[in-house]
Amino acid sequence: MKKTKSSKGKKLFFKNETNGVNDPDINTDSVDTEQEKGKEGETVKARETVPAQEIKKGRQKRKKADREPAQDESGEFLPGTAIPEADEIIAEENEPAGQTKTDSRVIKNRGPWQEAFADDNTILIQRTVRSGQSVRFDGNVVVMGDVNPGSEIVASGNIVVMGALRGVVHAGALGNENATVAAFKLQPMQLRIANHITRAPDGDYLTPEYPEIARIKDGVVVIEVYQMGQDRQTKIG
Amino acid sequence: MLDFLLRVFGKDNSSSKNVAKERLRLVLVHDRADMSPQLIEDLKEDLIKVISNYMEIDENALEVNLDSSNNTVALVANIPVLRMKRTSNRKEKIG
Amino acid sequence: MGEVIVITSGKGGVGKTTTTANIGTGLAASGLKVVLVDTDIGLRNLDVVLGLENRIVYDIVDVTHGNCRLKQALIKDKRFEGLHLLPAAQTKDKTSVTPDQIRELCAQLKKEFDYVIIDCPAGIEQGFKNAIAGAEKAIVVTTPEVSAVRDADRIIGLLEAAELHNPKLIVNRLRPLMVKRGDMMSIDDIIDILAIDLLGVVPEDEMIVITTNKGEPAVLDNNSRAGQAYRNVARRITGEDVPLMDLEAETGLMYKLKKLIGFK
Repeated sequence: MKKTKSSKGKKLFFKNETNGVNDPDINTDSVDTEQEKGKEGETVKARETVPAQEIKKGRQKRKKADREPAQDESGEFLPGTAIPEADEIIAEENEPAGQTKTDSRVIKNRGPWQEAFADDNTILIQRTVRSGQSVRFDGNVVVMGDVNPGSEIVASGNIVVMGALRGVVHAGALGNENATVAAFKLQPMQLRIANHITRAPDGDYLTPEYPEIARIKDGVVVIEVYQMGQDRQTKIG
Repeated sequence: MLDFLLRVFGKDNSSSKNVAKERLRLVLVHDRADMSPQLIEDLKEDLIKVISNYMEIDENALEVNLDSSNNTVALVANIPVLRMKRTSNRKEKIG
Repeated sequence: MGEVIVITSGKGGVGKTTTTANIGTGLAASGLKVVLVDTDIGLRNLDVVLGLENRIVYDIVDVTHGNCRLKQALIKDKRFEGLHLLPAAQTKDKTSVTPDQIRELCAQLKKEFDYVIIDCPAGIEQGFKNAIAGAEKAIVVTTPEVSAVRDADRIIGLLEAAELHNPKLIVNRLRPLMVKRGDMMSIDDIIDILAIDLLGVVPEDEMIVITTNKGEPAVLDNNSRAGQAYRNVARRITGEDVPLMDLEAETGLMYKLKKLIGFK
């Protein structure tokens, strides 16, 4: 298991600030988890029984905001005004193709190591997530594209970005400390896992040249070179 | 050539800054002429008060508008006169 | 009890955010307690100009919606103890807050800070109404361009309608050489048209781009002429009487040439 230190000093690039970023007064323990719980409390409980499309929050709000120019003609979401009250891009009912759920029944038969993923829903986003856009999902989020600065991905499970991750991400938003964030280019503005908050260092930092994965180890967020196979071992471990 | 020299020495009145200033002045006159309906109403009332001293007017048919044409803004009032007064009320008061 | 000042312009791109960051930093540099409030919800930028973008956990919408306490959302500047930022939300829109909420927010902030400086979004719609709601004073930023001056005039009218009397003017991005050539409106021309008090003149300066790239306000750079101008503005805000800087002290090539051949 390569720790961050061995991965070319990358750890230096992330400050672990479990005490909060904004203010020492901040109560990180409750920070986002509580926020999420407050908003999504019912959805969490309902998670086992209700299909993902049903439990996503914000649909009503979305309807209220229908008068907003939420989408342009191509069906793309416009940044900023697009998603009032944030909510998920994915909450659109007539969402264009490009998002699938893993069928847990299939995966469950595959082998023990996949069990870990099987009870979560996964969503696939085949586009670049741009500034002002926000993806919130009770499950894993996979982005086939970049996550630009000023955008936000909040997932109760893992986050995988097949591209450059430059926005704010929050994995394990409901408190799951085993959640991970992986990206081809992991350079987030801020990276949160469960109730840990880290942020990019001030000043310039190197662009990672290889896929990396962030996870909590011994109470701190570490960033490692992503090595195939390793992740799955950890999961079983 | 003369144009060029004038420009070089900054004596040209048609320099772009003056053009800008003049255009801006006009556009602002128009912008600022955008009076609120309430203001127009108040103006109407005051006009009626003053004019009634000199002539009898049809208060209901009175029209007051700000009219902006190319480079001026004018207050246009259409006031139908019913009857002229021989002497003004004002003089009577003073007298 | 502090003072709540809104920085506005009507037109976009004239330098509201740059001005807010620089005035705020300038005031904080002289030891005052300052909070900068970004009300441009959906298009926040003050955080990047200040280089604080990666510290944001909570924003102004979280505060007004009660998701966190005000103190939690305030981000301490990395350079000055007294400087704080209340960031705008990026994933919401301008209707997420109301003028009343901002008024209440400003009332709370001014108990703690000497200056509450509000960065207003461009436009005259809800975002503008939010931004000016809690303000006691207004600074109007314009550039020496017809479009910007026209919008400034509109804004001044709206400010007066909102009982924010005697707004002060900052003319940004002035190019003294062009003024001299007669190709740019001068300060006098602009004042003549807008008829409000001048708070400062900021010359066009490449350093603004460079310092913004780095996330460090130009006011901290002693070599930047724009920085100098903003330092002067900050001092004027605190009540000091600072003369306008000599914009004629131009360092352009033409000036040097003219000087050389004795034109000046």
